[in-house]
Amino acid sequence: MDRREFLTRTGISAAAASLVMGLPSLALGSAGSSARRRRVVFVFSPNGVIPDHFWPDNVGKGYDLKRILAPLAEFQDQMLTMKGICNQIQGDGDGHMRGIGCLLTGIELFPGDIQGGSDTPAGWSMGISVDQHIKNRLQADAATQTRFGSLEFGVMVPDRADTWTRMSYAGANQPVAPISDPYQMFDRLYGQTKNRQMLASVLDGLSGDFKRVSKVLSKEDRRLLDLHLDLVRTVEKELKTELAAATKNDSASHAVPKLPPNIEEQNDNMPQITQMQTELLVNSFVADFARVASFQITNSVGQPRMRWLDINEGHHGLSHEPDSNEEAYEKLIQINTWYAEQVAHMARRMKETPDPSGHGSLLDNTTIVWTNELGKGNSHTRNDIPFVMVGGGLDFQFGQAYDFGKVSHNRLLMSLLEGMGMPESSFGNPDFCGDGALTGIMA
Amino acid sequence: MNLNLATIRSNSISKAGHWAGWDRYFCWTVLVWIAIVGSGFADQPVADRPASDLISRGQAIYSQQCQSCHGEGGRGQTDAYSDPLSGDSSLGELTEIIVDTMPEEDPEQCVGADAEAVAKYIYESFYSAAAQLRNRPPQQQLSRLTGGQVEQSLADLYQHFYEPPWRETKQGLNGAYFDAGRWDKDKLKLERVDPVLDFDFGRESPVEGVDAGEFYIHWSGSLLVEHSGRYEIVVHSTCSMKMRFGNHDNVLINNNVQSEGKTEFRRSLNLIGGRQYAVLIDFTQRKRKTEMPEAKFSLCWVPPGGTETVIPPENLLPSTLPSSYALQTKLPPDDRSYGYARGTSVDRQWNDAMTAAALDFGNAAAKELWPNYKRKHRKDSDENRGRLRSFLTEMAEVAFRQSLDPETKKLYIDDQLAAVDDDQLAIRRCTLMLIKSPRFLYPLIDEQASESHQVANRLALTLFDSLPSDRWLLEEIRKDKFRLDQKGAVQRIRSSAERMAGDPRLHGKVMQMFFEWLDINPALEITKDPEKYPGFDKLLTLDLRRSLEQTVSEIFWSPESDYRQLFQQDWNWTNQRLHKFYGAAWEPLEAGDSQSLQRSRSDKNVTFGVLTHPLVMSHLSYYETSSPIHRGVFLVRRVLGRTLRPPNEAFTPLNPELHPHLTTRQRVELQTGDAKCQVCHQKINPLGFALENYDAAGRFRSTEHEQPIDSSGGYVTRAGESVSFANTADLARFMAENDDAHRAFIERVFEHFVKQPLAAFGEEVGEKLVTQFRQSGFNMRQLIVEIAVVVATQPQPEETTHGST
Repeated sequence: MDRREFLTRTGISAAAASLVMGLPSLALGSAGSSARRRRVVFVFSPNGVIPDHFWPDNVGKGYDLKRILAPLAEFQDQMLTMKGICNQIQGDGDGHMRGIGCLLTGIELFPGDIQGGSDTPAGWSMGISVDQHIKNRLQADAATQTRFGSLEFGVMVPDRADTWTRMSYAGANQPVAPISDPYQMFDRLYGQTKNRQMLASVLDGLSGDFKRVSKVLSKEDRRLLDLHLDLVRTVEKELKTELAAATKNDSASHAVPKLPPNIEEQNDNMPQITQMQTELLVNSFVADFARVASFQITNSVGQPRMRWLDINEGHHGLSHEPDSNEEAYEKLIQINTWYAEQVAHMARRMKETPDPSGHGSLLDNTTIVWTNELGKGNSHTRNDIPFVMVGGGLDFQFGQAYDFGKVSHNRLLMSLLEGMGMPESSFGNPDFCGDGALTGIMA
Repeated sequence: MNLNLATIRSNSISKAGHWAGWDRYFCWTVLVWIAIVGSGFADQPVADRPASDLISRGQAIYSQQCQSCHGEGGRGQTDAYSDPLSGDSSLGELTEIIVDTMPEEDPEQCVGADAEAVAKYIYESFYSAAAQLRNRPPQQQLSRLTGGQVEQSLADLYQHFYEPPWRETKQGLNGAYFDAGRWDKDKLKLERVDPVLDFDFGRESPVEGVDAGEFYIHWSGSLLVEHSGRYEIVVHSTCSMKMRFGNHDNVLINNNVQSEGKTEFRRSLNLIGGRQYAVLIDFTQRKRKTEMPEAKFSLCWVPPGGTETVIPPENLLPSTLPSSYALQTKLPPDDRSYGYARGTSVDRQWNDAMTAAALDFGNAAAKELWPNYKRKHRKDSDENRGRLRSFLTEMAEVAFRQSLDPETKKLYIDDQLAAVDDDQLAIRRCTLMLIKSPRFLYPLIDEQASESHQVANRLALTLFDSLPSDRWLLEEIRKDKFRLDQKGAVQRIRSSAERMAGDPRLHGKVMQMFFEWLDINPALEITKDPEKYPGFDKLLTLDLRRSLEQTVSEIFWSPESDYRQLFQQDWNWTNQRLHKFYGAAWEPLEAGDSQSLQRSRSDKNVTFGVLTHPLVMSHLSYYETSSPIHRGVFLVRRVLGRTLRPPNEAFTPLNPELHPHLTTRQRVELQTGDAKCQVCHQKINPLGFALENYDAAGRFRSTEHEQPIDSSGGYVTRAGESVSFANTADLARFMAENDDAHRAFIERVFEHFVKQPLAAFGEEVGEKLVTQFRQSGFNMRQLIVEIAVVVATQPQPEETTHGST
């Protein structure tokens, strides 16, 4: 058993360990602080669920997992479900728009010109979303600051800015666009490193060509080209040293994931894109690029066609079918089960990845919050919004199912802040925050 | 030394001087060092030439009385006198100066025949321009692309995969007004050209026949940028709006969602002078159940050094030009010590900036060019990544300005494709290499290219600061139309140059030339005492800039393209703001829309083309008063091409408040009356005084301190002829007709376009251009065409230095 494992298993804090064991605290993990890195990820899937095959029958610790949540069985001790959370925000916008636009903001949409299938038209949210609020708090403190603060992943989010495609807001009228192209996200995360590697790998060939070119020049003209070649050589040497040092240094936190080539953003590539984005997410947590993320699979009213499940209809279309349409009903269960599998895969990847801070696995310090803009597709209800959380980033009591009856979802947003150790007296529209954060869930 | 390898070894020292700012001292030492390098076709050394008795006598006197200060061979570099002794005073003037002032400690010591002898020696051996040329003939030197050339070349490399731009003379954006919430050709109610976009429709219908409750307007056209620099595009819109820019698919601003309170959108971009950027705007008032916002829209910008204004009509074109690209990487400035940018040095900062530029372009190639290419070549075979290989090969051939030999193709294309499986990554790798390659960066290392290709390379470099990228030109190359040993080749080259000279890419280079000639940095702010010149603010100076741009642009692009009009056009481009400030001569001839500039009435006594344009006049002035010295120096150096050395020491102008009764002219005469000052100021002042009718803001005045303005002046030509001017009209006429001015203009145009000294091409080239310029009625566009032809058809010298070490 190594030191890290020992400490994790015995649950001795790093500070205590260094006292107890007489170890210099810096010996733990990398040279930085060994404080726990608390993280949270908001995973979104659209169009509501089939409640009868989603919510456990039994609440409390002895809860059961229905068909849709079955893929998460291996995490049952590390997860929780929360029923009775209701998005009660009124005002402009149709159910889907308010469903996604108020989900993490807890506040109304501005009047605007985006008209849904019903209700009044609306614009963007009037306030910041909880993920961005947490990011701002973490970034304001040098101890929790990271390179990006937060990362917004998308999977097949249409290339269209409107109220249905945006979940995250940096502030009133400031939607944050998720990045759906894994290669673009890769560039954002590793672009600089990759560019330097690429530069290093072409310079040798270039130097050779400099020589070929200068052969035809007079001695005087060659002088400028020689100076230029010297510069190229200097850069080449510097890069070699730099890249060698980077490889030697803690390879885990500097590892650059490898993406499969030439995957285009097309419906049928959705499973592969989801996995690529998951890999990038996991790797950016390892590298401590960010401690907050959102992971938006399609959008509110999303229409993926899950042909890999032999489902050719779009998800949103199916979600409007009455429960009596057995075929559609069954397909919707399968679709939601597929989303659960993606969450399970993400959790599994985090579970098998050690946390570089030295405190167990990534999953031990990360909570995946899986949610949806609706409770149920064909009724467009925003009562009983799906909330399933996996992993120990938030200080909640995991391993049980909760049912709050019918409470405003602003109270849950406040609980998320409390769980991150940054409680607030209200979040979003204060009218829905009067009863404070949810009770009985903090560890 | 291969003469076909570009740009200069050395300009003559005497020429170098007149590029330096009057207020700044000049780094002579560096120039001398550069000038000494290399020789070529020099005459015999001075010492070996048969010397007349007069000269050897002069040489003896020089070594006894002058050399301790002026150094051997007049090189200076002593504690007493650091500047080299060179200039363009005539032999007579030089003798006079020596009689009057030299040697400094006892001017009586060298007079009469001694002074004549020493003047002759100095003049013949190193002082005169001819002596300078004999001693250190200017040569061309290998150069890399300048920053501006990199921007232009990459823009054309990109454009190659679309269509080339064309010159559009109409102004404004095309507006299509629909009685529907989206594009529906049956509901199109009106199509018109809107001179500017600055609308407040309120809750009313924007045009007749369109429902106020739901409409859609599509504006299309292009943005024309006159000067390179950082621009902020600012859109104010209360309704849903989307703006595409540059590439037709590139959404710059996406306000698809109208949301209360979100009405301002700003984007900062680096844009390139002379280039146009497609602008496609969708503006939608959507039907809704709730209260509708008032519909307002304006398209504004903050140009470099400017303030936010509605984009004026002359920067908007109703045609949607092909997709285009502007490099966003900031490149370090190039050496301008000779008056024009030169790529004669490389350093780490430049090298790193070029890496960033290559990555920037690689991104555009992977994200924009490649999908476009794939669409166009859907049917081509893609075996062994054949499509990608063809795409990259085509790009490399344009970037390298020649077809690829197998070894080069393997290195730049095949090896890079083999290195990575991902197509986007392969494109980035390949473009990184292409753009960092000496084959791209040194435009005239093209000896392996066909002769036709070499000719085209020089045409594109001279006229556009770029590379041959247009299909028609590449087709001429492919057919080998420019081989000089074939009959009619020169005429074919001239026709191609003429065709290129009708292209907007020439416009950008021309505009830059005029502003540099007039010594106006377009981004520079000009401020004046607000108490003396109320109303002279940023908005006024932006209008002045527009007015000057339109003046030079109209004259240049008119069929006559007559240089003389630059001094003789007797009306201005004006608007109400300018009229209000500048008075009667700036009254618009007829009422037009309030946004476009209008012609003013003619005034033969007040308006003399760019010479008296307020942007020029106010720039050559102090905060409160005019500056005849700045104006005189400007005319001597830039317009007449004469040499002035910097003042003996830095002087502060006399404070006008201490001499409240003196006019500016009297004050300047008082300060520069000393004999030593007069050596130069006798040339400077009489030219500057002729512009005293224009105050510090460039406003016409007849009196100063209740005394009438005396605008008489004079000039002694290079040939020694004395000319006097009664007023500005005489001065303007002189500048239009004078030989010194013509030669200076030709030299400046040549050096701006070729980025090499005219003298390096041999004296006869200069003479030929002067003759042609006169014969063409001083047609500037034709001058530029001839310059391009001269450069492109310059005989390639024997390859004597190959392989030498």
